[in-house]
Amino acid sequence: MNAYTKYFIRKSGWYLLTLLIALILNFMLPRLIEGNPVSTIASQVSQGMTDSDSIKRVYDNFMKEFGVDKPLVVQFGIYLKNLVSGDLGTSFGLYPRKVSNILASAVPWTVGLQLPAILVGWILGNVLGAVAAYRKGVFDKVLFPVALFVNSIPFFTLAIIMLYLLAITFKWFPMGGGYDYQMVPHFSLDFILSVIRHHTLPFLSIVLVTIGGQAIGMREMSIYELNSDYVLYSKLLGIRDSRVARYVFKNAMLPQITGLALSIGTMVGGSLICEIVFSYPGIGTWLFTAIRQLDYPLISGCTLLIALTVLLANFTIEIIYGIVDPRIKAAQMEEN
Amino acid sequence: MSLNAVELMGDVSPAPRKNILDVQGLKTYYKTRLKENVYAVDGVSFALEEGKTLGIAGESGCGKSTLALSLMGFYFPPLNFGSGSININGIDIMKLNKEQLRKQILGKEIAYIPQAAMNALNPTLKIIRFIEDMMKEHRPDLTKKQVWDIAAERFKTLNLSPDVLQSYPNELSGGMKQRTVIAISTILNPKILVADEPTSALDVTSQKTVIKLLKELLDKKFIKSLVFITHELPLLYHVTDDIMVMYAGEIVERGSAHQMIFDSLHPYTKKLMGSIIVPEEGMKENRLTAIPGTPPNLKNVPSGCRFADRCSYAQEECKQGDIPNRYVGDRVYRCIFDPDTLKEWYKNEER
Repeated sequence: MNAYTKYFIRKSGWYLLTLLIALILNFMLPRLIEGNPVSTIASQVSQGMTDSDSIKRVYDNFMKEFGVDKPLVVQFGIYLKNLVSGDLGTSFGLYPRKVSNILASAVPWTVGLQLPAILVGWILGNVLGAVAAYRKGVFDKVLFPVALFVNSIPFFTLAIIMLYLLAITFKWFPMGGGYDYQMVPHFSLDFILSVIRHHTLPFLSIVLVTIGGQAIGMREMSIYELNSDYVLYSKLLGIRDSRVARYVFKNAMLPQITGLALSIGTMVGGSLICEIVFSYPGIGTWLFTAIRQLDYPLISGCTLLIALTVLLANFTIEIIYGIVDPRIKAAQMEEN
Repeated sequence: MSLNAVELMGDVSPAPRKNILDVQGLKTYYKTRLKENVYAVDGVSFALEEGKTLGIAGESGCGKSTLALSLMGFYFPPLNFGSGSININGIDIMKLNKEQLRKQILGKEIAYIPQAAMNALNPTLKIIRFIEDMMKEHRPDLTKKQVWDIAAERFKTLNLSPDVLQSYPNELSGGMKQRTVIAISTILNPKILVADEPTSALDVTSQKTVIKLLKELLDKKFIKSLVFITHELPLLYHVTDDIMVMYAGEIVERGSAHQMIFDSLHPYTKKLMGSIIVPEEGMKENRLTAIPGTPPNLKNVPSGCRFADRCSYAQEECKQGDIPNRYVGDRVYRCIFDPDTLKEWYKNEER
């Protein structure tokens, strides 16, 4: 077995351990919140009932159905057993909808919002940062403070400002949701246009913040690489500027790739606040609703999904990095 | 003081033998953030004959590294070309445009070994890929296979394993990296190799290997002439035919290595020799003395002799006007005093 395979196996072990810890936390933390979800649901269901016995029966029924009458350890065991067979449980708040069903309906919205926004923001940000570092001069002097400014605005502030200006004051865009609420999702031009109109504001708010952060990072890295000795040496051997620039940007890109992979990985949980501000029907809005209703299975489901994607993203980055950068690969193999 | 022994700067008569490198009145400057021009190379003239090696020595900050860069004729900020000419093998490279210079001169006629060879190679590029990129500029007619053959052959000749070609820079040791850089720089058989402190970051054993490698390049005629820049004068004694001493952007003395070490004329060279241990017979008993003071700020150089403030022999007239070059046989130094006076002083001091 070579050193790299050993490294791969060892890393996988660590990630599995991390996942287990995440599972425990995902399960325990929601249940430590003060309050009883069943009483809320039971009181809603038994509204209008006067017979205290039947109210009690409804309550007990739900306690049993949700399994919250058993000790926590037993509940965790059941949770793990169901998890292995792919069952994330039944939502309390949207009883009897399955958690996996809710997540499946929410993920496309989140990914559809985040993935294009991250990619567009990342590409634009890196190009702008690289050009600023290479060109210097006026372009850099204008871009840098603007990027710094945009990047420093908290995500939700920018979202709220955009919502206020573009949706409320000018009424150019709808205020929230994934599509016009009177529409039924189906495949038609009207529906797609409505989705795009609702998509624009949250999309822009993410793109702007991403551009700012990426441009700053890329600019710094490029300036650092541009001043390195190999640039001078390569130029003095007669290698053309465009090729030297390619060396520089490949090397400057390395940390940026981590940034991209991380934001794609954390994408599912990355836009929680943005989704909440724009009431976008993604994971963020669902998680927000679930926490308010103490919907344990849905909270655990959302956080498990987020934890899984983050771990998977990190793992992938580490492996890709080893392939792209020989220095990292060498360091990784030394770890053994 | 005989008048015809005194010639003004820039009036150097052409040398009888073929000069492979001829630099006249070269001035290059750094543009600072405050838009000041700092002349780190301030009117340097010298010539180098084919087959000869020239050492350039001086304190840190005297402009030797800048001179090395300036010789390449390829300037990028903050270094700028001021005036003067650089003739390489009869071509005035300052008259060429940037593209011509890059394609015809750099790496082909004159090559450079940087001070920090440790970081001179792109960390994410295999050595052979880098050589391929370099060859694409100068020999686009070669296939990858041919480039590999040339590189492998040259590496073998220079006692470097061709395996190095398939390595990334981080897989090589410091000495190995330095030798790889030298091999890459000279792969096109440039006429002149400019080595900027190629040994300063290495341990003594690696230093010796590098020096041997440079001599080998000369012996095998892979390079015709060598310009070796260092702050270690004794090292130059073993490597170069001639030594030039720089001070505050100017050349203060030039002579054969032996003359410069054992019979220096300019007070600065004398002091510089007194400040280092020389293991040669007749020198190692010398007491070490430091040169008082620091070199002048190049932003604001004093008139007259730039060394006058630190020179124990300086007199009022040293600090006025231009100091002429004095020619004694084939040596030249920049001081108002004649050799006899200087030698008399040095003798008195030793007593």
